[in-house]
Amino acid sequence: MIAFDRVSLTLGSFRLKDVSMTIGQGDYYFIVGPSGAGKTVLLEAIAGLHLPEHGRILLRGEEITALPPERRGVALVYQDYSLFPHMTVADNVSYGLRVRGMERGAARCEVAGLLERFGLGHLADRYPGTLSGGEQQRVALTRAVAVKPDILLLDEPLSALDPITQERFIDDLRRLHREDGLTIVQVSHSRRETRLLATRMAVLIDGRLVDEGRADVVLNAPKSREVATFVGIENILDGTVTANEDGYAVVDAGGRTFEAVTDAAAGEAVTLCIRADDVVIGNGGGARNTMAGTVVAVVEDGPVAGVKVDCGVELTAVLTRRSVQDLSLAPGTRVTVAVRAAAVHVIRSLS
Amino acid sequence: MATKTGTFSGDAEIVSWRGDRGRQVDRCIAWFSIMGAAIVGLTVLAIANIAMAELADPAHLLEVAASPVVIGSILLTFLAGANAVLLLVLFGTPLAYVLARSRPSRLKGIVESIVDLPLILPHTVAGLLVYLLFMRRGWLGAPLAEIGLAFEDAYPGTVVAMLFVASPFFINTMREGFEKVPVHLENVARTLGAGTFTTFRTVTLPLSLRHLYSGAIFAWGRAIGEFAGVVMIAYYPFIISTLIYYTFTTEGIRVSRSIAFVVILVSLAVFYLLRRMTRLMGRYDDRV
Repeated sequence: MIAFDRVSLTLGSFRLKDVSMTIGQGDYYFIVGPSGAGKTVLLEAIAGLHLPEHGRILLRGEEITALPPERRGVALVYQDYSLFPHMTVADNVSYGLRVRGMERGAARCEVAGLLERFGLGHLADRYPGTLSGGEQQRVALTRAVAVKPDILLLDEPLSALDPITQERFIDDLRRLHREDGLTIVQVSHSRRETRLLATRMAVLIDGRLVDEGRADVVLNAPKSREVATFVGIENILDGTVTANEDGYAVVDAGGRTFEAVTDAAAGEAVTLCIRADDVVIGNGGGARNTMAGTVVAVVEDGPVAGVKVDCGVELTAVLTRRSVQDLSLAPGTRVTVAVRAAAVHVIRSLS
Repeated sequence: MATKTGTFSGDAEIVSWRGDRGRQVDRCIAWFSIMGAAIVGLTVLAIANIAMAELADPAHLLEVAASPVVIGSILLTFLAGANAVLLLVLFGTPLAYVLARSRPSRLKGIVESIVDLPLILPHTVAGLLVYLLFMRRGWLGAPLAEIGLAFEDAYPGTVVAMLFVASPFFINTMREGFEKVPVHLENVARTLGAGTFTTFRTVTLPLSLRHLYSGAIFAWGRAIGEFAGVVMIAYYPFIISTLIYYTFTTEGIRVSRSIAFVVILVSLAVFYLLRRMTRLMGRYDDRV
């Protein structure tokens, strides 16, 4: 639907470099990256608020690089909500319709249903300054949806909300995506939000788009070591392929060998990524990689616990807290660790 | 040495006072207030001084206050000031917006210096600049005289001189107001379908109304107080400052002092009212 073709953009001391990406109709597209990576600038570029120096932006195949924001059919919701403080909730929400020439009364009627849907009906005549953070965020979202945009842009919409409000908001967003079929682009640095909502995603680091694709692919089979670190893959090991037979490679990672599925030839330097939930403690049930080790730490995090095991290299497994108790795991416990060869994602440094 | 002793005894007093009343006095704020009182005191003293003299002869004061020349001159001054401010609002507001939203550049630096120039120049220099440009043979004065707009010793001359000296007060205040409106609000308005001007009209300007108002008051105050800037191009018609100067040189201290006292009373009342009215606008600012 919207495509960036090698877009470069300088803003003060900040640069977006050579960004190419494609956001399809109906995608829930996440742009993730560390703070200061340029996520918001990228979002504003989609909205048409910055003119790229190089490259083209295409909407349904038509070039819109220089099209002003008001003619793009995209709506933007900022992290700080950016409600108009001098207008009531109803006037904020109907703003988009009014600047399109609708009468005040007609516009208010038009948005009345929307206000009810988002639970804002009783706040229609209040000013934004008197609302809670969660309410303000809902107003901002409703205001954006009211103009029936082709694409909804959200800049870290959940970061300033308390956990309970976050859950409600995630439900709202999911409904907007699934039931209303809205294309949504969301900037975030929360892995959890990404896992819950994203269908496709891009990883932006230091102004560069370093990975893009289906969310499950980027999250589980990242293209590079820095993406793997950023998306939170718990076990990242550098090694060298020592043998490869029909796509089953043996990789030496600091004294411990792993079998993995890859085309990398013997002698090639690779990075192995293993998600903690693919590291099984106890009987591995015929997994290719089985090794003995000693528990070095157990870190509880709510219902789950991360268990660090030293087996030549350090591997982190994630278990339920209950399993940790059942297996009576504690620092010093001797355990067997198993990892299926297919669960080892190999990043080839040459690719 | 005397000061030092004084300070110490002052401290002791504050301490004992605290002990007596069980309330806290912030010594820093106390001293700041004492120093501030010196400034305000100077103005109060000056006004009290003139008031004592004037109120001793109320008949003369009333006679001067009621004279058509004085009333006409006050009205003319206020009107010309308002006229200058109106032009400033019209032309200065767009400039203030551009200055508030543009990125720093050499050109911007130059424009900023030009805007501030009337602040730095001696008023006589400002007056000369205006005179030379708008006199009958001036670059702008000559062609405008062709179409019947004369500036020398005429109302337009007063207005244009006032406009020149008051412009930085309005433009800088207005610009500060625009800078305080978050760019995000404008960005959101744009994506919701508003063009640049609609965004300005519906979001940026309403949120800067307070600054527009106080900038206009500043500029108006500056305009009606101008003497040297105005007198060079328009000695006539008499505005307050020229009238007082004229009566001072022709009729002496007594009449000019009475006019001055009337002007003080009127100005105090008008500006107090205008300040009060600030409260009525842009209340939502406080809740952002």
